[in-house]
Amino acid sequence: MPRTLVLGLGNELLSDDAVGILAVRRLREELDDQTDVIESSLSGVALMELFVGYERAIIVDAVQTGEFPPGSIREFAPADLDRVLAPSPHYAGIPEILALARQLELDFPREIRILAIEVGDATTIGGALSPAVATALPELIGQVKSQVARWQGEVPHA
Amino acid sequence: MSRTITIDPITRLEGHGKIDIFLDDKGEVEKAYFQVPELRGFEQFAVGRPAEDMPQITSRICGVCPTAHHMAATKAVDDLYKVDPPVAAKKIRELVYSIFFVEDHALHFYFLGGPDFVVGPTAPKGERNILGVLGKVGLEVGKEVIGLRKQMRELITLAGGKVIHPVFGLPGGVAKRLTAEDQGKFIAAGDHAVQFAQFSLQVFRDIVLKNPKYVEAIVSDAYTHKTYYMGLVDGSNRVNFYDGQIRVVTPEGKEYLKFKPQDYLAHVAEHVEPWSYIKFCYLKDVGWKGFEEGADSGVYCVAPLARLNAADGMATPLAQKAYDELYSTLGGKPVHHTLANHWARLVELLYAAERMKELANDPDIISPDVRTLPTQTPTEGVGVVEAPRGTLFHHYQTDARGVITKANLIVATQNNAARIAMSVDKAARGVIKQGKVDDGILNLVEMAFRAYDPCHGCATHALPGQMPLAVRVYNRNHELLEEIRRDG
Repeated sequence: MPRTLVLGLGNELLSDDAVGILAVRRLREELDDQTDVIESSLSGVALMELFVGYERAIIVDAVQTGEFPPGSIREFAPADLDRVLAPSPHYAGIPEILALARQLELDFPREIRILAIEVGDATTIGGALSPAVATALPELIGQVKSQVARWQGEVPHA
Repeated sequence: MSRTITIDPITRLEGHGKIDIFLDDKGEVEKAYFQVPELRGFEQFAVGRPAEDMPQITSRICGVCPTAHHMAATKAVDDLYKVDPPVAAKKIRELVYSIFFVEDHALHFYFLGGPDFVVGPTAPKGERNILGVLGKVGLEVGKEVIGLRKQMRELITLAGGKVIHPVFGLPGGVAKRLTAEDQGKFIAAGDHAVQFAQFSLQVFRDIVLKNPKYVEAIVSDAYTHKTYYMGLVDGSNRVNFYDGQIRVVTPEGKEYLKFKPQDYLAHVAEHVEPWSYIKFCYLKDVGWKGFEEGADSGVYCVAPLARLNAADGMATPLAQKAYDELYSTLGGKPVHHTLANHWARLVELLYAAERMKELANDPDIISPDVRTLPTQTPTEGVGVVEAPRGTLFHHYQTDARGVITKANLIVATQNNAARIAMSVDKAARGVIKQGKVDDGILNLVEMAFRAYDPCHGCATHALPGQMPLAVRVYNRNHELLEEIRRDG
């Protein structure tokens, strides 16, 4: 089983909320067999179950705080989330998932990184990515690749 | 001074539930409103797409119950092409659907409803979470829940093609047959699920029913509404999740309506309120009389307790016993206590497990004949299933090529929207006195709608049960007076 999980979260029917899914979908071809790419719309405990068995995981998702311009990319460790992103139920879920996994002694990744991209419209069914988010997509993909490469001890290609 | 209190989950995306509470000059609740989001734009999105894509597309509406949308859409395309699937295909679908119910109901009881009922409605909020549930029922049970869900998901993957979004439903059948080897796995898992369901009912008896305070909360007037109830029933008026006729009983428990899914528009109508973008479903035959209880008001309710109320019993023996126990304990049918949904959910968990076991052992299940090819020119189709959260309607109209010209979906939470709004209003009136609003209100008001397990507009990312909430108190001039938050 591959050791690294790249998890794209979101809903591909909902405009900018698709961005996490689109980012990892484009990476699927490029990453080696040491990495699994999963697209998911799950939440909570169901989401927790996806992490089991991996050593490391990177989560790519949309976030809407209204505090940053759409397209802004930020990186977090789960420990940062309570403070930084608690108003989002999705992210607020991650620390809880981790606590639960620890308590249940699940085989859980020892390192989890979260790449969050600020989005604009994420409620219109069938809408395309907004321009700012579409523009930031290659940068988001690049950051995921860099993280995976760092974990594999390789220098990312320019 | 008149004040407005807003309980807002500050969700980031996908829509959210929100509570606005308006206080009068004396600080008493004038009216409380619960708002749930709708599938905005979905109908337009569907137009122009081939109908046979709908099972795949609609399963992406919701990260919580994709299997329910997939199944309703698959049945709608059966109806659209006027094609009757072979026996094996229907049984495979129902088998997968039963497994989905086992998985979903188990999750809800322990992880979502558990904080209210296993840990307890009056426990400190720091304990009212899944870790608190584990503290009470033991770590082993938590591992068992996770283990059971893993086993169920693997089976759904085996039969459904993909776990999160099944892809096996086709007009006239399913894409894949089951082999004898597959069957063995389903049989073993069925036994496991039945044991687990019985164990869960025992947990409920031991922890909830033996605690007079919990029972008091369940039967308290604050969480009671006498409304109509709706659910799918089989030919003997027993609960069925996958197929049947839609039955409605009165607040007194008498059969009021029984109709085919295709006739739903004759009986279900939608009411619009200026303060909400959701349409409130009501019974056309009774009429909209506002957010009122009783036989003169068309407000009705779906989801586990409603299904039990709308039926005459369960189709499997152990679940029937559990059904009888629920009604004899709570004073006969129908039961109007919203919080009894948690118990009803466990009765259904046992039924789903037993049904899964029955179907897994059925010789038809491994028949290779799993598809009837459609030959009719499509015009219109309706598919209805019971989603874990209640009756789910999919209705498509197409041109002669099967391309959607019109789509209408009614999700479970829309059916329940009026009653949820009434529950929140009643709970708020019960806890807010003379303008005093404290942290306790969050849980008591939340409990009122959490029992329905409302699917927040198919809010794929909301972590249900840990929904961050804020109560905002405004004065008449919309100036913020105070804010109480609970962040996940």
